[in-house]
Amino acid sequence: MHAMNQRQRLILLAVAGALPVLLGRIVLATTPVQLHEAITPTSQLVNLALGAIWIAVMLFSYGRAPGEPFWKLVLVRLWADQIWLLFYIPTSLTWTASNFDELADVLTAHIIVSFPSGRLRDRFDRAVVWFIYGYVLLVNVVGMLVFRPDWMGNPECTDYCPDNLLLVAPNDTLVAVIDQASSLGVPFLGLLLLAAVVRRWRLSTPIARRVMLPILVATPLFIVLRSAWYLARAFEVSFVTNTLADWSFAAIEFIIPVGLLLAVLRARLARGAVADLAIELAHGVPIGELRNVLARAIGDPTLRLAFPAPDGDGYVDELGRPIQVPLSDTDSARITRIENEGELLAVMVHDPAIDRDNPGLVDAVGSMARLALANERLSAQVRAQLEEVRASRARIVEAADVERQRIERDLHDGAQQRLVALAMRLELARTSVTGAQALIDETTAELTAAIGEVRGLARGVHPTILTEMGLAPALEALAERSAVPVTIDAPDKRFPPPVEATAYFLAAEALTNVARYAEARRARIVIEERDGALVVRVEDDGRGGADPTRGTGLRGLVDRVQALGGVLTVDSPDGAGTVLTATLPLT
Amino acid sequence: LSEGHSGEQHISVALADDAVLLREALAASLAAAGFEVVGQAGDVAGLLAIVDRSSPNVAVLDVRMPPTFTTEGLEAAQTLRKKHPRMGILVLSQYVETRYALDLLRDDPSGIGYLLKDRVTRVSELADAVRRVAAGGSVIDPEVVARLLGRPREHSPLDELTPREKEILGLMAEGRSNQSIADALTLELKTVEGHVRQIFSKLGLEPTAHDHRRVLAVIAYLRST
Repeated sequence: MHAMNQRQRLILLAVAGALPVLLGRIVLATTPVQLHEAITPTSQLVNLALGAIWIAVMLFSYGRAPGEPFWKLVLVRLWADQIWLLFYIPTSLTWTASNFDELADVLTAHIIVSFPSGRLRDRFDRAVVWFIYGYVLLVNVVGMLVFRPDWMGNPECTDYCPDNLLLVAPNDTLVAVIDQASSLGVPFLGLLLLAAVVRRWRLSTPIARRVMLPILVATPLFIVLRSAWYLARAFEVSFVTNTLADWSFAAIEFIIPVGLLLAVLRARLARGAVADLAIELAHGVPIGELRNVLARAIGDPTLRLAFPAPDGDGYVDELGRPIQVPLSDTDSARITRIENEGELLAVMVHDPAIDRDNPGLVDAVGSMARLALANERLSAQVRAQLEEVRASRARIVEAADVERQRIERDLHDGAQQRLVALAMRLELARTSVTGAQALIDETTAELTAAIGEVRGLARGVHPTILTEMGLAPALEALAERSAVPVTIDAPDKRFPPPVEATAYFLAAEALTNVARYAEARRARIVIEERDGALVVRVEDDGRGGADPTRGTGLRGLVDRVQALGGVLTVDSPDGAGTVLTATLPLT
Repeated sequence: LSEGHSGEQHISVALADDAVLLREALAASLAAAGFEVVGQAGDVAGLLAIVDRSSPNVAVLDVRMPPTFTTEGLEAAQTLRKKHPRMGILVLSQYVETRYALDLLRDDPSGIGYLLKDRVTRVSELADAVRRVAAGGSVIDPEVVARLLGRPREHSPLDELTPREKEILGLMAEGRSNQSIADALTLELKTVEGHVRQIFSKLGLEPTAHDHRRVLAVIAYLRST
């Protein structure tokens, strides 16, 4: 079958399933034996229809899970269903075999209990099915060993007198007992089957229950109606005419195969959902909707979708709320990891029944979800980065504006005021005869102060020593101006200007903060070149508790660092000092 | 060297600054203080030409000059020192950077000065600095020294110094001689010498007879603690 495609395999299987049905019709059409009065054209049609339904059950279950034995059981049952027709082939062998026609009913029980995989799941199920097999086989075989039909050895029998090939010792009493046992056995076995179905239902998860619902309904319905039918006939209830009896019997026959067909279709529908999922995902599903879409596709309303927490610890849901995810599969939950190139994107926590009922479905849905998540993550990252760039740019502009305002204000309030005052004093000195000396002395002092102020201003805007001599001398100069003692540990080496400037202003801002808030006794600046990056570390022994999100100074530094593709971290436990670390890529 | 108008030595000065107004004012101030301004230039090349031609006693130059307007004056000072080892050099700077001052004086501190440009508004201080470098002394601007002394320190032998000793340490860092310190503080020379010994002992420094070596030792000490 390997060389065939799915379609060819299905056709072959349909033929294999239809063959016994057709052979059965051929037997009936060509038999020399007189047909039973119940075999009418209508009953023939009913049989054909039943065969068609069973074939459908077989084909759909094969399509759903070709690797599982369920469809094989159905195929065997299709053949077993025609065993009774061997009666119409006038040989002793076929006649003997036709007495085992109850095999079809036993197989039906087997199929029902083993739904949907075709495998019996636990000891109880196995016990029930093998008991039914054993009981029916025992009753049949023992019955055949002692059953001697009237015509055997009867010289008057002329046209159809097959021998019972299994006959060992005819015993009419034993036949009567076995007949009794067989009749009593039917409702008992029916109840046993019903117990197995109900038990299976109780053990099932919600999804599995949803799928097997038609069986749960069909099995007791069949057992009750069939029992009622037999009882009615046994007691010759007046309203039961022959026609009604025939029709109702046929109708009851449909209950089980229709129930099975519905159940197989339900299980199979989940498979078709993968295609729907693909279409839905192609249209774009917001991350918040993804869980619902996946739950629909898998057919598990209890499905949970969990993402690895951004900080790498535990899981969160699509809204970022922490959720508990079992570490491994449990009886009530199975975990399917959705990974992309070895990176965990998400986990689906779902009903284990889905894997059982639809092998491969979760994997198929998972790979769909992987694509969607990878896309979603990618676009989310791009969005987040764009948003960050936009915000960062806004802050840089804002910081530049604030800085300009500060320079403007300092020049205006400081240098300009002094220069205006100077002009006034000089004017006064020009017109004053007495005291000119003192006025000019004052003016010169004012002037010196103004020059000093302008100098400090210029240095604050950009220190020349940084561009001229590099980071280490500039940091030394910074340390001289610091309010707390600072030790510098920096290589006397040049780095790209933006890196030097960022490192310098970072250290300057950090030292300002140390002086202002930290209540520190000393600080230390360490500059190291490590793994193609310049690592700037500013430590103090102050009170800690610095909040990097507060204060525009630090925020601006984060922007500077990020603009270079670097990272800034602040470690500031309460009472244990502050360590500010910036890693600035050198390439 | 010839005698000046106030009984002092005649000192000739070459001047370099790219800001014309300031340079002219500076030249006027120096002339008023009794120096002979032998030439003015707007850049390093011009200054070198004047120095080659006139061999002045002192070159006074701005730290910021073309083409980059950063620290050309410092490099020019090195060049001048090599070509004219006996000429005094006074760099006028906008930068209160101890590192610049130390770099300028490091190789040979005799006859070299690092003065803040503000200082030119006080003609007497400017004239004093020019005379000191002309005489082979060292000059470091008091504000630069103040920065060195005022640098925050945890525990330092400087804490052991008396206020007077600290004052004298600062004056030593400015490059002044014991006599100059005695004059500035109106103390006896012997008293100053006693203080200096005391300071060196407290700081654990080797006493040195040469003033210009002393300035380096003091500055290096202040920078390293």
